[in-house]
Amino acid sequence: MMDNYWKIFQELFGLDEDFDKGKVVRGEISDWDSVGHIALVTKLEETFDIMMEPEDILQFKSFYQGIDILKKYHVDL
Amino acid sequence: MFLDIDKKERAHIAMIDDLGQRATYGDIVDFADVICKAIAQRTVIFILNSNCVGSAMGYLGSMINRVVPLMLAASMDAELLAELIQLYQPQYLWKPIAMLKVDETVLLEAYDYALVATGRTGYPLYEDLSLLLTTSGSTGSPKLVRHSYENLEAQARNISAFFELDGTERPMVDLPINYTMGLSVLNSHLYAGATVLLTSMNALHPKYWEFLKAQEVTSLTNVPYYYEILKKLRFFRMNLPSLRMISQGGGKLSDELYRECAEYAHNTGRKFIPTYGQTEGSARMAYLPAELALEKCGSIGKAIPNGKLYLVDEAGNPITTPGVIGEMVYEGPNVTLGYAQRGEDLLLGDERQGILYTGDLVRTDEDGFFYIVGRKKRFLKLWGYRVGLDECENIIKSAFDVECACVGDDTCMRIYVNTETAHDEIKRYIADKTNINSAAFQVCYVEQLPRNEAGKILYSKLQ
Repeated sequence: MMDNYWKIFQELFGLDEDFDKGKVVRGEISDWDSVGHIALVTKLEETFDIMMEPEDILQFKSFYQGIDILKKYHVDL
Repeated sequence: MFLDIDKKERAHIAMIDDLGQRATYGDIVDFADVICKAIAQRTVIFILNSNCVGSAMGYLGSMINRVVPLMLAASMDAELLAELIQLYQPQYLWKPIAMLKVDETVLLEAYDYALVATGRTGYPLYEDLSLLLTTSGSTGSPKLVRHSYENLEAQARNISAFFELDGTERPMVDLPINYTMGLSVLNSHLYAGATVLLTSMNALHPKYWEFLKAQEVTSLTNVPYYYEILKKLRFFRMNLPSLRMISQGGGKLSDELYRECAEYAHNTGRKFIPTYGQTEGSARMAYLPAELALEKCGSIGKAIPNGKLYLVDEAGNPITTPGVIGEMVYEGPNVTLGYAQRGEDLLLGDERQGILYTGDLVRTDEDGFFYIVGRKKRFLKLWGYRVGLDECENIIKSAFDVECACVGDDTCMRIYVNTETAHDEIKRYIADKTNINSAAFQVCYVEQLPRNEAGKILYSKLQ
C-alpha cells in the first residue's frame, strides 16, 4: 500500500525512488501546483476507491500529511 | 481621467487584497498625484505584478499619468525578463519591495511596492499608446499587444454594460492582472465604481475561500480549468449567499462542465455568463446572455455591445450560411492597435483600424449564435494560459542542440525533436521556463522533421 502511495507521487511529479519524502510538499515541488494537485487527488481517489472531502483536498499539503488524511477514509498505508 | 476614477465617491473602497491592504477611489487619485511628481510622462514602465493593491496602484497611477505600462508576472523567469528589458528599455520598474536589489535606484515606495529608475533614456511613443500586454506571457515572447486609451475605455464601458455592473459589485480578481481577462475585470469594475478583491492565491488554497467568504464576493471570472477545480471542490453545493454571477473565458469549457455551470446558475438564481475574447481585442469580444446559457449550451454567444462579429471564408468573402465554418472577424472600438516586436515599434500607429481577424475557426447556428470549432494560429491554451508554439520551439532550440517542432491541442503540447535522449530534460526545461505543469508537455522522437522544399516545417504532418 505504502509503495503504491509513493509511486503515485513519483509518477505524477517525476521523483526518483530515493527522493527525500520529507521535501515532497505542495508548492515546493515544481509539478505539484494546482494542476498537479487535482491530478494527485483524482489518482488517489481512483486508486483507493474513495471520495475526498473538499476540506481535505484543500488541507492536503505534503506526502506525510496525506497519510493521515487518507486514514480518515480508512486507507491504512 | 482614466476610467473616470476621479468621478467616483472618494471614500468608497476601490480595492482590497488578501494581504490586508485597501485603497479608496480617493486614494487612487491622490497616489496618481504622488507618482506624477516622480515620473516622466510618455515613458515605458514595467509592472511586475502579483495581484495586490500595490501592483494595481502602480498600474493605475501610470495609466492616469499617461505612462505606458507593460504588465508582467512578478514570478516570470529572470532571464526572460532581462531580455524584455534589453529590448524595450523601460525607464521605470514598479516591483514588490521584497524583490528589490541592493544597487537599484528607488524613487518612491508605497503599498509594499517600489518605483525604480533604470537609468535608461526614453524614446518616442505613439501618442495614443496606452498599455502593453504580452501575447504569450509565460514564454517571455518579445511580441507585445499595443493598446490605445480608447481600447481600454471601450473595454471597461462595454463589459460593465453587458455584465450590468454597479458600485455594489465585489468581484474576485484572482486571474493575474498582467493577463488580459484579469485586467478587464479590474478595469470594468473600477469604471462601475465597485470594490475589487485582489488575490494571488488560487482556489486550492484554504485561505482563498476564507478571503472569498469574508469579503462577500459577488462574482467569479476565470478560465475553464478553474471550473474543473471548483467541481472537484464540490463548489456547486457550497453555500455562498453573496455570489451573483460566475463567468468564464480564455478557452472552451467541456460540454459537460458548461452544462453544470449553466444548471447551477439556473437552479440557484445566479447568472452564468460564458465569454470569448483575446488580448488583441482587449479581452472580451463575445458573450452569451445568462438567460440563454442552457438553451445555447457551448456557444460563445454574440458580439458584445458596440462590436460586430462575422465569418469569412479562405478568400475573405463573408459567410452567411449557418453551419459553414470560417474564420471569425471582429470589429469594434476594443480592437487593439497591433503588435510590437521591439522598442521602435512603440511609435507605430493603428495598424488594424478596428478590424481583427481572430484566427479562430467558428460556425453559427440558425439564430446567429457563434460556436468555436478550431484555431488557425500557432498557439495553445494550456490550462487557460496562452502559450506560443513558435516561442517554445525557440526556447528549446536555444538551450538544446536539437531540431524541434511544437504542435498539439489545449490539453497537451507535443514537442517533436530529432534526438532520442534528453526527453526528460527538455520537458523539465520548458515546464520551468513557461511556469506550466510538465504534464502539459510530451516530448516525441522524430528522425527528421517534415519540411517542404523551402525548408518550412509541415506542421500538418505532425498533427
